[in-house]
Amino acid sequence: MGLFGQILVNGILLGGLYGLMALGMGLVWGVLNIVNLAHGALIMLGGYAVYFLYTGAGIDPFAALPLAMAALFVFGYLLQRFVLNLIVRSALLNTLLITFGLDVVLVYLAQLSFSADFRTINPPYAGNNTEIGPVTVPHAQLFAFLVALLLAGLLYAFLSRTKTGRAIRATSQNLTAARLYGVNPRNIYCLTFGIGAALAGAAGGLYGVVSQITPYMGVTLTAKSFVIAILGGLDKPLGVIVGGLVLGIAEAMTALYLDPTFTDIISFGLLVVILVARPAQLVGRA
Amino acid sequence: MTRTTTLAAFAAAVAASFAAFADSDTVTLGAAVQLTGRLANTGRYYGDGYALAVDKINEKGGITVGGKKMKLALKVLDNQSDVNLGVRQYVQLLTQDKVNFLLGPFSSNDALDDSSVAEKYQVPMVQGGGASTQIYARGYKFIFGTLPPADDYFASTIQMLGKLTPKAKTVALIAADDSFDVSVANGTRKLLKDAGLELVLDKQFRENNADFSSLLSLTKSVNPDVILWAGHEPEALNFIRQAKSLGVSPKDLYSFTVGVPTADFRKALGNDANYACGMTSWLPSENNKDEWFGDAKQFAKAYTDRFKYPPDYHAASGVADVEAFAKAIAAAGSTDPQKVRDELAKVDFESLYGHVKFMPNGQISLPQIVIQIQKGELVEIYTKDFIHQPEYPLPAWNKR
Repeated sequence: MGLFGQILVNGILLGGLYGLMALGMGLVWGVLNIVNLAHGALIMLGGYAVYFLYTGAGIDPFAALPLAMAALFVFGYLLQRFVLNLIVRSALLNTLLITFGLDVVLVYLAQLSFSADFRTINPPYAGNNTEIGPVTVPHAQLFAFLVALLLAGLLYAFLSRTKTGRAIRATSQNLTAARLYGVNPRNIYCLTFGIGAALAGAAGGLYGVVSQITPYMGVTLTAKSFVIAILGGLDKPLGVIVGGLVLGIAEAMTALYLDPTFTDIISFGLLVVILVARPAQLVGRA
Repeated sequence: MTRTTTLAAFAAAVAASFAAFADSDTVTLGAAVQLTGRLANTGRYYGDGYALAVDKINEKGGITVGGKKMKLALKVLDNQSDVNLGVRQYVQLLTQDKVNFLLGPFSSNDALDDSSVAEKYQVPMVQGGGASTQIYARGYKFIFGTLPPADDYFASTIQMLGKLTPKAKTVALIAADDSFDVSVANGTRKLLKDAGLELVLDKQFRENNADFSSLLSLTKSVNPDVILWAGHEPEALNFIRQAKSLGVSPKDLYSFTVGVPTADFRKALGNDANYACGMTSWLPSENNKDEWFGDAKQFAKAYTDRFKYPPDYHAASGVADVEAFAKAIAAAGSTDPQKVRDELAKVDFESLYGHVKFMPNGQISLPQIVIQIQKGELVEIYTKDFIHQPEYPLPAWNKR
């Protein structure tokens, strides 16, 4: 029972971070109808931003998160303004091509600038933990989980309570109607992509604290974010966090009860099952 | 410039570059290594090691082939950490670029597939990046390797465990599912059985796995004396960091097949790297004399000066590959693939990497030196006997 509890906690903590990774991707997908294949690269950039703020300027990684998010927001905003707005509302294939290209460019620029060295964001408390009965709760993972919940909550509040947030949702639900009410979609797109990039940046910083940063970390994270975003329902922040939890717990339990080599089979198998069971999730939007 | 003249100029340039390769005064070695992609961190040792060795041999006058001085040239392609692309590039190296001989890529998975190209075209490949015994189990005649067999990576570690008190009794074996690590795990199971150690946990994980929390919790539940871990460096870093955050520590010792010898590992982990044991077939020691570099220490200095990071055994192994070709080509007095292959089978020389001599199956046999990180420094612990005392048993994370 102790082992089960431990693995459940592991899965939940990991799942929160997964959810945060997918939040930005789901938002961009839901509102802009862009499946951002460069999402993992944005996570990677966020990781490097926090890494350099921590090792270079000595800023605590959790304090550095807002700075990294701000930087990624600006980057994402400009990217949408000058690159992605060119292809927004065009065929899905175009958006896939351009974001794939962006991913390649960002990854190779990162290797040129930062080398392929493995970087870890390793504050002194990174390895601390608390024993609660038979269960060990690692602090860094717990903080990362809480930050993920906080950001998902903030995003939810932003989308449902603020004027800009409502405009973002309106744009995603009915572009024509939104325009008639005076929403400028181009600006909304830039804002949305900026927010998505900022969330990816936060996820990257947290990922560096619990794992490591390399120029190539993004590929698998994009794939995971893709699955979670679908599980969770794209631009529904709380749903995406739940999707992350489902995946995190499923992976942890697979490693315990089946075999650790099966985790990917389960996570992508889950995707297939969801698509078969609830195809409207995707078809209704695309 | 009109399009035709541009094309003509381009064609001339291409022809010129081919002419350089076809030059009868140069012997060209070709390789496709991971200069980018997820294995770039280790792949660079090969790209850089080959380049340094080729330049050094040329600087010392090149190779005498049948009374004629010849220079070495190097053609390195970037396989982007993609095994399939690597195979295509090796075919390209032989059919279009017309290189004379092949050097290997990093990692057993790559070497396993790429060596088939060498065998098919009957051109010798000396590779220092794949240790899996699978590579040599297929009766291939044209593949030679300078990494000792993966099966025996833990042999010296297990032997050492028998001489330490308190005596370790139980072992958890955790290995990735790629060719190298499967080979390590198979060999280790047998070694453990022979040594009378009990295997209390035997788990495989997916290559590129980033989350070890479940495996670590399982390990904690069986509370082993020793963890023997086989995988690649990024996974080793994740394993150790997550072990700390979950408070998982074996009672006596943990050892990792990769990572521990590299400076990168110590830098990424900081103090958490301490106590980690590992192994290396090579250390930059003055005792390893070398015809071209003087000795291994001078090599390490030349390497660090040029590439701004220190070499580990991967780089030294890569250099040994180039040197093996230099020796074999000189001995063959020709660049005929079959003759050079026959001479490679006979090479027997001291190098910065150690004694280079291939077993009948083509693989080298070198002892693995047990190493440990002690207070941030890499310390040699054991080969056939103790060199330095290990910090043993391993203290729990909260007592470090």
